[in-house]
Amino acid sequence: MTAMARYNLEKQLNILEYALSSLWRRRMKSLSVLLVFGAVIFLLASFQMVTQALSDKARQVLAHTPEITLQKMSAGRQEGIPLAYRDKLAGIFGIRRVVPRIWGYYFDEVRLANYTVMGMAVDEMPEGARLDTALARGTMPGPAEQGRAVIGSSITNALDLAGRDTFSLFRPDLSLKSFVVIGEFSRDTDILTNDLIVMNLADARDLFGIPGGLVSDLCVYVANPTEIETIAKKISDALPSVRVLTRPQIQKTYQAVFGWRSGFGSICLLSALAAFVILAWDKASGLSPEERREIAILKVLGWETSDILAVRFWESVIVSGLACIIGMTAAYVHVVYGAASLFRPVLMGWSVLKPDLHLLPRLAGGDILLILAFTVIPYLAATVIPAWRSATVPADSALGG
Amino acid sequence: MTKSPSRWCSPCATAKRCVETMRPALRFAMFLCLLLALDGALFLDGLARRKAQDAALVKLEVAASGLGLTDLAVATEARYTRHPAVSDPVAPFMDHPGAIEHFPTGAFWLPPQR
Amino acid sequence: MLIELSGVSKTYNQGRANEVRALSGIDLGVEQGSMVCLKGPSGSGKSTLLAIIGCIFPPTSGRAAIAGRQLARLPDRFLTLHRRETIGFIFQRFNILPELTVLENITLPLLPLGVAPKERRQRAQELLERFGISHRAQFPAGQISGGELQRVAIARALINNQPIILADEPTAHLDTNLSREFMEIMQQLKEAGKTVVIASHDPVVFAHPAIDRTVTIQDGRIHVP
Repeated sequence: MTAMARYNLEKQLNILEYALSSLWRRRMKSLSVLLVFGAVIFLLASFQMVTQALSDKARQVLAHTPEITLQKMSAGRQEGIPLAYRDKLAGIFGIRRVVPRIWGYYFDEVRLANYTVMGMAVDEMPEGARLDTALARGTMPGPAEQGRAVIGSSITNALDLAGRDTFSLFRPDLSLKSFVVIGEFSRDTDILTNDLIVMNLADARDLFGIPGGLVSDLCVYVANPTEIETIAKKISDALPSVRVLTRPQIQKTYQAVFGWRSGFGSICLLSALAAFVILAWDKASGLSPEERREIAILKVLGWETSDILAVRFWESVIVSGLACIIGMTAAYVHVVYGAASLFRPVLMGWSVLKPDLHLLPRLAGGDILLILAFTVIPYLAATVIPAWRSATVPADSALGG
Repeated sequence: MTKSPSRWCSPCATAKRCVETMRPALRFAMFLCLLLALDGALFLDGLARRKAQDAALVKLEVAASGLGLTDLAVATEARYTRHPAVSDPVAPFMDHPGAIEHFPTGAFWLPPQR
Repeated sequence: MLIELSGVSKTYNQGRANEVRALSGIDLGVEQGSMVCLKGPSGSGKSTLLAIIGCIFPPTSGRAAIAGRQLARLPDRFLTLHRRETIGFIFQRFNILPELTVLENITLPLLPLGVAPKERRQRAQELLERFGISHRAQFPAGQISGGELQRVAIARALINNQPIILADEPTAHLDTNLSREFMEIMQQLKEAGKTVVIASHDPVVFAHPAIDRTVTIQDGRIHVP
């Protein structure tokens, strides 16, 4: 190493050490700033990680959602779709199969929980034959069996089914319909199935009191996935009162769901901005008498203004760097090991059924840069720019009483 | 009851002396390295977890395909937050036309942007 | 002459409503290895004169040459570099940073010079031993006695082996014994070849036999009785 390089390195290390000692001398203030800053980064990074993990998961599993879903709309609301519409679809080239489903929500007034009840002939669905592999135990109900259901893990807990395998639900006329649990979904599928009760079509029709000839929706599967939009248009022309949802449209929902413009995202951002305004104002509100005295003394002792600015810069870099590492590490631990428990009220609200979220965010360089751009860079700007005030402290103010 | 320094085990005493005589910049660098090592450990654990999750992904795919599922089952308090992808746009306003969002998750699980 | 001032004036806030003429027509020469006392009441311009000799700022007019460098021509940065190498300051109330240790205070001038920790410690130890306070090296400076603080301030002024020592009212807050002790150390420094300029109106200082010359400043001018 050349003498000049060694000199510069040693000088910067000396200044860095002075900055460290300066932070340590004001350790309560430094620690408070570090904690606040770290908390802000924790909040933003947690939000970023949760939404990214959920978004990833949605993207992965919704790649297998039905290619086209048909719902009947009336006065802007969804209502039962006639089974007869299947015949109208028969003439459209490219449709491989059409599977009717009856599904809806059952509100358990005792437990105040909403269950999603689904009725269908599972062997008509793609991968229907393999559904048993998604179960922790048991089998899926066949079309001829009566009163048989497969339930998700939250249902097991909600209905307190440990040790027994029968439960009853109310029909619209308040008569009871009994079910026997013949299978339970694996905990690995919780994020999709935890609130599900799956039965055959006939049982669902009976439970909800839906007249024969009507179903909730029709799942349409096509021979060539690239033809989805074309076939969707043909269906729309053939059945004008039907809402045609394609797989790309359903997937697009989740791209938009986890946005910074969502209510909660805005709250996170606003809190971060508020914290920064406070921090920056504190920093910009001038030097304390002790700080002015210290700067004057250093100047008389031969420190240049650039050396003093370097101390402030290193102080800011140390605080913001540490806050960033600690905040992001804490956010990762919160999301992965704590299952984002702080965000549960936002993600689940008043829901009574709460699945275990096994979220695993994928932190890309771009995500880290985004958080840095919103946090570290504004803080550096807010602290280093006012540090130029130190340039105005006259050295001779150290002289005299 | 803490041991007096003279009773510390030899490697601990050596390490303590080493840290005390180290220059502050180096001590700070060591602290940073410790933090980054922790992050490294979390990263490695994350890799192992991802492997396990990938195995579980197969079951999720079967469930989604076999049942025709369109939404994640997270917010079960309202139908338009439980099934945002397939709810009709009127669903949040079912109570009355000028209904203000009153479900907490309505601010998070946005309706589809069509 | 190590310090040469000729027709030096200093005006603060020149051209503004609050313009103040602190010094007028100062002619002063200080030989190398001599000790000069600047005497005068507060507000007389002693601190301003000391600041010019100390290369903190150049004069508004006149010539000021310190250790062979004309101050008026030097930009701020080079003034700082020249001051670093040439001037050791002892402040009134010593201006020690109380939270730093004695060692850290003494070595403050060496940090921007890129001096490694080992060498800083070595140089500081030599001075601490010379002044008999090496046992205080790791003490926070705010916890030592007045006499020890005085010696820390002097050690800091000598750490870079600067040829000129400037002291601004060094005995203002010391008792007579400590003031005499201070002047004894200044005498030793003079005998070692340093040039010492002390601004003080303390008789213990200006009446000390080591002082070669006393210059009285009044209303920004040198008063010739």
